[in-house]
Amino acid sequence: MAFAPMGPEASFFEVLDQHRASLLAALKRGGGEPAGGGTHLASSSEVLASIEKVIQDVITSLARNEAPAFTIDNRSSWENIKFEDSVGLHMVSHCTTRKIKSDSLKSVKNFALILKILSMIYKLVQSNTYATKRDIYYTDSQLFGNQTVVDSIINDISCMLKVPRRCLHILSTSKGLIAGNLGYIEEDGTKVNCSCATAVAVPSNIQGIRNLITNGKFLLIVEKDATFQRLLDDNFCNKMSPCIMVTGKGVPDLNTRLLVKKLWDTFHIPIFTLVDADPHGIEIMCIYKYGSMSMSFEAHNLTVPAIRWLGLLPSDIKRLNIPKDTLIPLTKRDQMKLDSILKRPYITCQPFWRKEMEIMADSKMKAEIQALTFLSSDYLSRVYLPNKLKFGGWI
Amino acid sequence: MEGTAVAVCEILKYLIIHWKCETANGALLEGQLVISIEALNSKQQENTLHCVTTIASSESIYGGLVYRNFLKEMQSILPGSSAKLNWTSEEVSYSQDISRVTPFQMTFEVDEKPRTLMTDSLVIKNFLRKIVMVHPKIRFNFSVKVNGILSTEIFEAENEPTLNLSNGIALVVNYQHYMSRPKFGTTQSLCSRIHPVLGHPVMLFIPNDVAGVDLLGELILTPAAAVCPCPKISSNQLMNRISSVSIFLYGPSGLPLILPSQEQSITTVFKDTSYFIDWKKYHLCVVPSLDLNLDRDMVLPDVSYQVESSEGDQSQNMDLQGQTLLLILFVDFHSQCPVQQMELWGIHTLLTAHLSTILQESHSAVQDSIQFAVDQALEQHHQAAKVHQKLQTSLSVAVNSIMSIVTGSTSCSFRKICLQALQAADTQEFGTKLHKSFYEVTQHQVLHHCSCEVKQQLHPEKNDTEESTEGAHENSSPELHAGKRDVIPFCSLSLYLKAWGCWVLIRTGTEGTALRDQRQVANKKFKKGSLHQVLEGTWAFPSARAPSPSEPPLRRGEPPAASMTPSGSRADPGNSPEDALWLQEVSNLSEWLSPSP
Repeated sequence: MAFAPMGPEASFFEVLDQHRASLLAALKRGGGEPAGGGTHLASSSEVLASIEKVIQDVITSLARNEAPAFTIDNRSSWENIKFEDSVGLHMVSHCTTRKIKSDSLKSVKNFALILKILSMIYKLVQSNTYATKRDIYYTDSQLFGNQTVVDSIINDISCMLKVPRRCLHILSTSKGLIAGNLGYIEEDGTKVNCSCATAVAVPSNIQGIRNLITNGKFLLIVEKDATFQRLLDDNFCNKMSPCIMVTGKGVPDLNTRLLVKKLWDTFHIPIFTLVDADPHGIEIMCIYKYGSMSMSFEAHNLTVPAIRWLGLLPSDIKRLNIPKDTLIPLTKRDQMKLDSILKRPYITCQPFWRKEMEIMADSKMKAEIQALTFLSSDYLSRVYLPNKLKFGGWI
Repeated sequence: MEGTAVAVCEILKYLIIHWKCETANGALLEGQLVISIEALNSKQQENTLHCVTTIASSESIYGGLVYRNFLKEMQSILPGSSAKLNWTSEEVSYSQDISRVTPFQMTFEVDEKPRTLMTDSLVIKNFLRKIVMVHPKIRFNFSVKVNGILSTEIFEAENEPTLNLSNGIALVVNYQHYMSRPKFGTTQSLCSRIHPVLGHPVMLFIPNDVAGVDLLGELILTPAAAVCPCPKISSNQLMNRISSVSIFLYGPSGLPLILPSQEQSITTVFKDTSYFIDWKKYHLCVVPSLDLNLDRDMVLPDVSYQVESSEGDQSQNMDLQGQTLLLILFVDFHSQCPVQQMELWGIHTLLTAHLSTILQESHSAVQDSIQFAVDQALEQHHQAAKVHQKLQTSLSVAVNSIMSIVTGSTSCSFRKICLQALQAADTQEFGTKLHKSFYEVTQHQVLHHCSCEVKQQLHPEKNDTEESTEGAHENSSPELHAGKRDVIPFCSLSLYLKAWGCWVLIRTGTEGTALRDQRQVANKKFKKGSLHQVLEGTWAFPSARAPSPSEPPLRRGEPPAASMTPSGSRADPGNSPEDALWLQEVSNLSEWLSPSP
C-alpha cells in the first residue's frame, strides 16, 4: 500500500525516533508486553462451555434444593483495583465479590436478567453472529428497563466468565474516527485506507481486523471531534506525514481504546494525546493511558501506559501568552475532578503531569485547545503541534 | 330460626359470660361443653319431632351459677310453654382431692318440625364455629340423634395458630375456617394463615334514646381486617383480586352478636356497603350478598358483600373464587370495676338490640378506624401481589433462559447432566421440574412475614410465651385501648415493636411496676434474640421461615448491616437457631425497607 510522500523532512522526526527507540528499549527491559491478566481471548467453544458450566451450577444448586446465586466481582470498587506502571489500573487477583441471589427479592430480577443475557450470548456465539449492547437492550426494553442495566450485566458476565466482551459476540458501538497513514482489512475482507481526505470510523470488530500496515511515525489521540476535524481540514495528516490520528469524541468507547491498544501492540509507535487543558481532558487522557475503574478487569487489553501528554499543557498557556480572556475559570466540579485525579495512584509516577495539574489548580483556570486560535487560526496545526513534535514537547 | 337454636345459643352465651367472669382476667377460656339433641317422633303431633336438648359441662366454674337468675333470663328466650328447662348439678367430693368438682347439666324440651331441627342444627354449628374462632381452647361436642341416627361433630381450634387479643380472647388465623377451598387450579397453599391488621380502638357512645342503659364502663370497638387467603399463596393472577367481603361481629367476652337467619336491626347499618368503608378508593364495587346457605363447612359471616368490578372488567371471571376481605369487629366492655355477669349479659342484650344505632352514633370514629384497618390489609394485599408478580416474572425469565441454553446446546454430556440433576426424562419434564424447583427455593422469601413457619419453633416455648401473655393481659387497661392509633403493618420491624408494645405490653404514661417488669421480660427476650417467643404470645408475628430439622438452613451470606434489637446491641450470629432466625428476620425486613433495583 503506497502512502502520499508529503510531510516534513526525515530530520523532523529525529526526536520522535529517539523516543520510539527508548520505548522499545523499555519494552525489552520489561520483558515484552505484560502478561494478560483478568480476561483472555477465548474461542467460541470455550465461551459456550463456560456458559454451560454456569447453567450446570445453577441446576445443581436447584437439585440440592438450594437457591442458586451468582458470585460477581466488585468491579467498581477501589479496594479491588491496583495500579501498576506497566499496565495501569487493573483488578487485584483476589477481589471482593457480591452474590446475586435468586431467593432475594432485591436481586432476583438481576439474577434472571443475567441468565437472560447469558442465553442471548449463547445464541450469538453458537450462530457466530454479533450484536451490540443496544441491540440486546431492544430485544426486550421493558424487561431490562434501561441501557445501563444491560451494560452493567454484560460487564459482569465478561468479568464472571473472564472473557472479553468481544468474545461474547457483543460489540460496542464505535463512535471514534481514524485518519492518516494506516491501512487494514476488516474481518469481512473489506480493505480500509485511512489516508483518505475524510476520516474512517473505528471498526466494530477490532479483534477481527488484520493486515494492519502503517509507516506512521506517531499516533495522535485527539480528545474532541471538533479539534480532529480542524486538523483534518488543515491537512495535518499530510503535513505531518506519516502519522495517524484518532479521536474518541470525548470519553472513548471500548473499540477506540482497543484500536489504540492494537496499534501500539502492533507497531510500538509513539502515542501522544492532544486534550484540552482542563480536568476533563486530563481524565480522558488517563483513560487511554491507565484505564478506567469500570473496565479495570480488562485493563491488560485496553491500556497503553506508553502514552505521552503532548498538549495542551497548562504550562503552555503562560509560555505562549494565550490571552487571559480566552481562559475559563475552573468550576467547582472541575476542582473536585482535579483533586480526584491528583489523588489517583498513577499520578505519583508522573511528576510532570502532577506539576501541570498543580499549575492548573493554582491558576484556577482552564483552556480549550481552541484557545490557540486566538494566536492564529491555524496556530495549532502550523506551529504548535509541529514544534511540539519536533522538539519533544511531550511529558 | 326456631326455638332450639335460639335456646342453645343464648344458653351458651350465658354460660360463657359466667365462665369469663369466673376466669382470671386475660386468660383464655379452656374446657369442654357438650351439646346434644335427641329427637324422636312426637306422639302427639304429626310430622313433628320431640327434641330434648342437653347442655353439659364439667367445668367447676358453673358451681357458682345462680339458677334463679339463669332461669329468669332464659324464660324470655325459651319458646313458650312447650319448653321445659331442667337443671341438674351434682356435687362430687373426692376423699383425696379437696377440690369440688361440680358437673353441670341442663336440658330443655321442644317440639319441632324436622326441617326446623335441621336448620337449627346448622345455626348451632355456625354459632359454635364462631365461638371457637375467638375461644380456641373451648371444645364443643355437638351431637344430634334423630330417631336413633346419631351424628356428632367436634368444634375446637386448640392446636391452631392464633392471634392473641386483649381481654382473654384469641383469633384463630387459620384461613381455612373463613373460606372454602379455591374452586380452581392446583394452587398449593403456601401460607395457611390470615394476617389480621388491627384498627385503633374506638370508644362507642350510646345514644340518649337508647333506654335502660347505665354502664359503669366503656364500650370499645376494635376492628381487625385481613385478606383471606394469604395473598402470597396463589400463582394465579385471578386469585389476587378481592371478590367478597365478610364481616363478623363479636361482643364482650368474645361472643357472636347475632345469629344467622335472624331478623336483626343490628345489621341495618351494614346494608349500606359504603357507610363505613370507601370502596371506591380500592376500585371495588361492593353490593350486599344474598347467599343464605347455612350448610357450609366454614364460619359464616354476619354480613357479606360481593365485589363487582367497578370498571366492568369483563376479563374477570366472576365464577372463579378470588380473595375475601375479612372484617372482624370486636366490641368489648371495659370498666375500672370488676364486671359482673349480669352487667355483661345486659350489655349483650343492648348490643344485640341497638348495635346499628350505637355504631351510627360514633360513625366518624368507627369509619376512621375500620377504614384504616382495611387500608392496611389491602395495602398488604397489594404489596404482596406486587412482590409475587415480580418474583413470578423473574422466575419465568430465569427458567426460559436456562431452557433456551439447555435445549439449544449441542453438547450431549451437558444436556444429560442437566436432565439427570433434576431427574427429568426429557426437556419438557426438565422445564416443569426446573420451574417447580425455582418456585420452591424462592417461596420462603414470599413467606418471610408469615407466621406459619415459625410454628415449629414456637410450640416448645409456648408455656413461656403464655406466661408473659397472661401477665400482660392481667394488666390490660381501658385507657390503653381508647384512642390509640396503633396498627401493626408487616413492613417495618420498628413499627411492629412500637405498635405491639403500645398495644399489649409496653404502656405509655401510667406504667406500673408490674408492667415495667413485663417490659423487662420482653426486652430480655429481645436480647436473647427470640423475638418470636415474645410476639407469638401477643401477635402472630410475620417472620421468615424457620429451618426445620429436615430442611437445610436458609443461607445468609453476611450478617445484616444494622441490628434492630431494641437494646441496640448486635445479635451474635449463628450461636443458636433463634439468633439465626432473628438475624434473618432483620435481614428480610431490611430488604423490604430498601428500594429494589
